Formats: sequence, C-alpha cells, structure tokens
Amino acid sequence: MPITIFQAKKIITMDPARPDATHVAVQDGKILGVGNLEETSGWGAHQLDTTFADKIIMPGFVEAHCHLLAGGMWKYLYVGFHDRVDPDGNLWKGVSSIEDVLERMTQADAELPPDQPLIAWGFDPIFLKHQRPVKTDFDGVSSHRSIVVMHSNFHVMTVNSKTLEIAGYSAQSTVDGVLKGEDGTPNGELLEMAAMFPIMRRLGIDFRSLGRSREAVTAFGQVCNRVGVTTAADLLNDLDDENVDELQGITGNEAYPIRLATMLNALSQTAPETVALALAAKARSTDKLRLGGVKLVTDGSIQAFTARLRWPGYFNGAANGIWNIAPEQLKTTVDLLNENKIAMHIHVNGDEAIDAALDATEYAIARHPRADHRITFQHCQMADRAQFRRMKKLGVCVNLFSNHIYYFGDQHAAITIGPDRAARIDACRSALDHGVPLAVHSDAPVTPMGPLTCAWAAVNRMTGSGKVMGKNECINISEALHAITLGPAYTLGMDGQVGSIETGKWADFAILEDDPTTVNPLDLKDIVVWGTALGGIIHKIA
Amino acid sequence: MQHDTSSLPVTVISGYLGTGKTTLVNHLLRNAGGRRLMVLVNDFGELPIDLDLIESVEGDTINLSNGCACCSMGGDLFNALVDVLDRSPRPDHLLIEASGVADPVRIANIARAEPDLKLESILSLADAKTVADMIDDPLVGKTVSHQLAASDIILINKMDLVGTINRRQVTDLLSRAAPGVRTIETVFSGVPIDMALGIQLPENPGKIIEEMTGTHSDIYLKWSTSTETRLNRDDFESLLGKLASQTLRLKGIVYFSNSEDAHIVQSVGNRCVFERSTESSFPGLGKTRLVAIGLKNEMDCSALDGIFRQML
Repeated sequence: MPITIFQAKKIITMDPARPDATHVAVQDGKILGVGNLEETSGWGAHQLDTTFADKIIMPGFVEAHCHLLAGGMWKYLYVGFHDRVDPDGNLWKGVSSIEDVLERMTQADAELPPDQPLIAWGFDPIFLKHQRPVKTDFDGVSSHRSIVVMHSNFHVMTVNSKTLEIAGYSAQSTVDGVLKGEDGTPNGELLEMAAMFPIMRRLGIDFRSLGRSREAVTAFGQVCNRVGVTTAADLLNDLDDENVDELQGITGNEAYPIRLATMLNALSQTAPETVALALAAKARSTDKLRLGGVKLVTDGSIQAFTARLRWPGYFNGAANGIWNIAPEQLKTTVDLLNENKIAMHIHVNGDEAIDAALDATEYAIARHPRADHRITFQHCQMADRAQFRRMKKLGVCVNLFSNHIYYFGDQHAAITIGPDRAARIDACRSALDHGVPLAVHSDAPVTPMGPLTCAWAAVNRMTGSGKVMGKNECINISEALHAITLGPAYTLGMDGQVGSIETGKWADFAILEDDPTTVNPLDLKDIVVWGTALGGIIHKIA
Repeated sequence: MQHDTSSLPVTVISGYLGTGKTTLVNHLLRNAGGRRLMVLVNDFGELPIDLDLIESVEGDTINLSNGCACCSMGGDLFNALVDVLDRSPRPDHLLIEASGVADPVRIANIARAEPDLKLESILSLADAKTVADMIDDPLVGKTVSHQLAASDIILINKMDLVGTINRRQVTDLLSRAAPGVRTIETVFSGVPIDMALGIQLPENPGKIIEEMTGTHSDIYLKWSTSTETRLNRDDFESLLGKLASQTLRLKGIVYFSNSEDAHIVQSVGNRCVFERSTESSFPGLGKTRLVAIGLKNEMDCSALDGIFRQML
C-alpha cells in the first residue's frame, strides 16, 4: 500500500522518546514512522503531503465521557447563556437577556411549519438579567403553537399557555412540580419528570431517540470533528442488536470522522445479563466501534443536589442526594462484572458515592484479583486526597469533570458545597500527585464538547466569574494535554492504539493552527482546530 | 379533576432490596383474578415470572397466559410508560416495581400528572427482620424511611420470621418512621388482590358481611352496603373519613342528590379520591354501593353500618 508522509510545522507526539517531530509517515491507516523527512523517508517510496506544513499536529483528542445526545440536541433551538457551535459550524451566541431569547424564538417560530411544536434547550434563567420568565413571555412568541423551553439542567421546562392546555394543567391541578403564579394558575414552569411527562409524551420529546437516531450519531461525529476529537466515548446506552447494527453501519463509513466507544447501561438489566450483553457486544467491536464497556450510575449531580455527600452535606442545607443503585447492590454488581473482566465506568460525584464505589471496587478485586482492570470513576468531582490514596492502592483511574470549575464553580462555592470543598473539586493535581491515571471530560451536551477547553479548565481553574478556584489543584499544560489524549485513551483501554503519535498506532490526528505548548495558558481554549485525520484520512472541518 | 374512570390505574410497589417486591408481583400476577395486569419492573432483579405462567416473549415484554404482561423498563421509565399508554388495548391496571432505592413519590407523581394515568396507591414492603437495621443504615436509612412514610399501605413482610416481642417492636418502629401509614402483616407477600390493587365492585351488590375466602380469612374482613336513596354530598364527604379510618380499602359508586352522574369513590389507607364516571351505565344504575376491606381486628361491620345509615 502507498505511503504518505505528512509534513507539519510541529508534531507534538506525546511520546517521551520523541516529543517533537516534523514528519509522520502513514500506511494502511497506521503510523509507519515519526521523525524528520529523512528518517521517515527510510521506509521507501512515498508521497509527501504538505497540507499541514504550517500547522501543528497532535494525537487526535480522546473525549472519554460525553453522550450521543450532543449531536441530537441540535434538532432543537439553542437558547443557552454560553456560546455553542452546532454540528454544522454555526456559532450560537449565548443569550444574556430574555429579549434575546424571545427574539431568537420568534425568528424560529416564523420558519417552523405551523403544526410543529417549537422546542428550545440550554435555557438558564439564573444568568438572565430579568425576573424569571413565565408562560406569558412565551405566549408572545406564539399563542397557537406549543412552545417548550428546556432548561440547561434538563430537570425543568418553561412552556407557553398552549402547552399547559394540552397537558390539561389548570388552576385546579395539584400536581407536584406544576408551579403557579400569583393568580393561582400554572405559570408555565414545570419541575421534574413527572410534571414534564404529559407534555413530553404529547409532543414526542424523547431523549433516548434523540441520542440514537442516524441524524444524531452523524451530527455527533461532526461535533467531535470540530474540536479535534477522533475517539469519543458515549457513556450510556441500552445496546440492542439493532442499535449495534446501525452503529456499525454509520461508523463503518469512511466519511465518519471518529472511533466511537459506547458503554452499556449496567442498571438496565440484571448483573448476569449485563455480563452476557457486554461480552456479546465486545465481540462485535470494529476498528471504529468499540463495545464491551459498561457504565454504572451511583449517584446524581452536585448542581441538582442529587449527588450523595458525606457529612456535613450540602452548603445550603439541602437534603442529601439519591442513590441510583443501592451501595450493597453496587458491590455485588461490580464484583460479578469484575469476575468476568468487564471494563467498568462508575459514575460518582459526591464524596459518599465515591466511598461506596471504592468499597465496591475493593471488595470485588479482593475476591477476584485482576491486574489491569482500569475501573474508572467518572466525574469523581468531590474526591479528597484520602480517596485518591485509596484509588491508587486499588488501581482505579479517574475521568474528572474539569469543565465544572468554569461552568458551575461559582455556584458550587456559593450554594452547593461551599468555598472550601469547591476549591478541591475535580482535583487534577491530587490525582497526578497520587499516581492515579487522569483524564478530563466535557460530559457533552452538559457542557460543550472541546478537549482544549477541558485542558484549559484544568490548567487555569477559572470560574465563570473569573476567579481562580483551588490554585493548588492546577496542572501544567503538558499534563493537561496528556489528560485529553493518552490519559482518556488509557481509561478506554485504547492507549496501545490511540492517544499518541507513535509507530504502529492508528494515524489519528488533531490538526491545530497554534501550538498549545507555547500559547499563553489562558488562550489554550481558543486555539483554532483545522480538522482531524482518522486512520490517515483527512477530515477538514466543513 | 382531570382523571376519570378511563384513566389507567397505577400502583407503585416500593421497598428496599430483599423485602419481597418480586414475590409480591409474582403473587399478584398469579392471582390476578381476571384483571389484565401490566407490570413494569424498574429493578435490576430477575423478571419475577414463574416459567409456567409465560405464554410468549416479545422483546422486553413477557405475555402471560392469564392476560397479564410483564415488561422490563431498564433505566427508562419515560419510554416504558409511553409504550404502555400506546398499547391497544390498554391493560386494566399498571404496576410499577420501583428499584430498591427509588423514591416512589417521583414515580407516583407521573401518574398524578398524566391525564391518561391515575395513581391507585403506593404500596411499600418492609422486611420485619431487617427493617430496623435498614432505617438506621447510614447510607440508605433516609431513603428507606422516606419510602415507608410516602406509602398508602405498608406490607410488613416475613412476619413469620420474628417472635411476638419483635413483632411489637417492628410495628412501633413503623409507626414512628411512617406515622399514620396503615400496615398489614404478611408472609411471602401474601395479600388478597383486592387489598393490594383495589376493590372490584361485584355485579350484584347486596348488604353482605362476607369473610374473605382462602388463606386470608383469618386476617381480613369484607363489608358492603347499598341504597337507592340519593346521598347528600357534604354529609357523605364528612363521614367518609370515618369509614376510611376503619377500613384499608373502600370503593363504591355513589349517587348524590345534586347530580345525575355516578361518582366513583375510592379510599386507600387514609387517602380518598372521587372521580366522575365516564361510563353511562352501570349495573344497578342509580343505586349507591360501597364495598370495603379491612383487618378483622380493626374493622367493626355493625359500626360501619351505623355510620352509613347516618348518611341516609
């Protein structure tokens, strides 16, 4: 097969044996050699490709915790506070006033066929300089079309009067979560699944299909491509055969720009069934579709007050959060999965949930020792140093949610867990100091996908208001670049194939306009991504 | 009220791990007594179906020979409920087996919000042997207490495994953890279907004092009454609480003096609900009928007769 040598201004390899290079030779989708032109030419006849002669090549980024929904959500209108880029590359500026929201919705209303509901997402009223919007604000956009504005946390929606009508909500309703105004009628704000259910059912708002459709999976690939991601892990899926067939089909297309890992939801069936499904799925893995890992969700999230916290609990006195699985059942489930050598990703946010996951891991690996289990704690936001010491002893990896420092850090300090514990959230420095393998992630669509932003957050620890939160937990740029390449690749068991530019690995590259190792650390997130290469095939951002 | 007799009744079955939820579901499926039950399992336990009952399996749904069905909803209650509501014909009654750590109120609230569903009751199970430890457990204690306190009726299960003194301790404990919630003592989750899922009105009512048949006759009592006289709604509502306090479940068709329509009244534990009937004809149209079930040691049928006569 022909050999192509890509020339770059600089290649950051993440391989300590050869940290910098200028040329990388590719054959059959794999890296044949790394070095200068003379070294890489030693493999024989080749074609020199100078497309990247003035660009920086890095290993393709690995986003090891996000959701296919990051592609699917764009079916709806974005009205969030932070800027986001859609799969087609359009920048959606964040909206900072209710007038902006209404203007954007009025425009969308004019373009939508009359029989369709207008559904928006990402809304965050706490950032708006206006009293909390209610149904009448949205009645102005349309009184005859159903309007649903989903808040960024997915636990609340605000709807117009027409929508309240189709659910039968009225002054007489006594349903929990249907908020009422001073006039005693529902004001349009609906809290939690129960109150939202009649509306989602009637308008066909279904997050599962939003994350599963062909359009969503395709859009997800575009979202990844725009930020330099070549390997992404979708962290929750109910994989049936049909779904695997479809994913194989979509990812198998040469034009699909990423390797997709997708983790089976371990709480959808019994533990023995999970083992059987995971092993069956694993056997259907391809070079571009990685199956066989499972996800276990232990608690909820800090910002929704559903994470399980140890004493002294939530800073504002909120009741402790929820278990999605009883700690004793987590133990027996982890034990059985470990015995069957299944790769596990355990969602934990609060420190009490982290203890429960540590206890389960210790129990399981004491019963069935397993040298290289790579059990990864996902989010793991409130871990303290004692917990990192236990993780090290148990061989646990962490994938920390560094974006939280920026997107939710101010609220964590002021409301959820208080300034001292907020200062140690997503403790990247502690993880590295204790030798715990580290990755950072976006959890897109919860925060926008962008590994360079995750790295920026871990390096600078800057909150939305511009404060530095927990300076001692900052890591340096090269550590942060590791945490978006080899680090996450390790948690996915793919560090032998991706995450660095080394001979024998897949030729997966992120092509950048600037050198992240020399920019001002505060500019890390602003580096322009030109595109990617996957298995040597170039995917320029469309 | 937006809910009416065409809404699908929902019973949420709650309880921590090992309290007997699966056994209860199996028991109810086996003794469905002509009701077409649909069970959504929100637990990671084995689907609670005895093999001899299974007629066919389609995807996540198991169809039983007696018209009932059982469906694994995985982690996705939303889609499972949408699917149930799309089924034609709809089942007679929907049971949702909550996971051991789920908050039954969050599930029940969906049935309260959705016009095509209505909450029948939250039934919780407690394991007589372990409930004290579970309530004190530092990790799940509050979750368990909340489940019990949020219920309409608690089945104190596995009562055969504790002695008389401990029995007393268990009932005292529950009266503190779940104040005011009615309790029933059970063994192997054994409970009559009318008790668990609500009473079905008999075709030919008459005033009867009937002992329940079978293994439950030593515990439960059934009471029923009827009248052709139209009732005053205010009197009825004020006396209903008295009737409900002696009975675990009460159901009836009531005709009020100020309305042509039949009203369905139902109480479970301490909670009463009225629905306006959407059906134009009942057998014995115009005749008020009430049926109640209670515990033998709590219910006095002649006292109930007395209360009812005050309304006439």
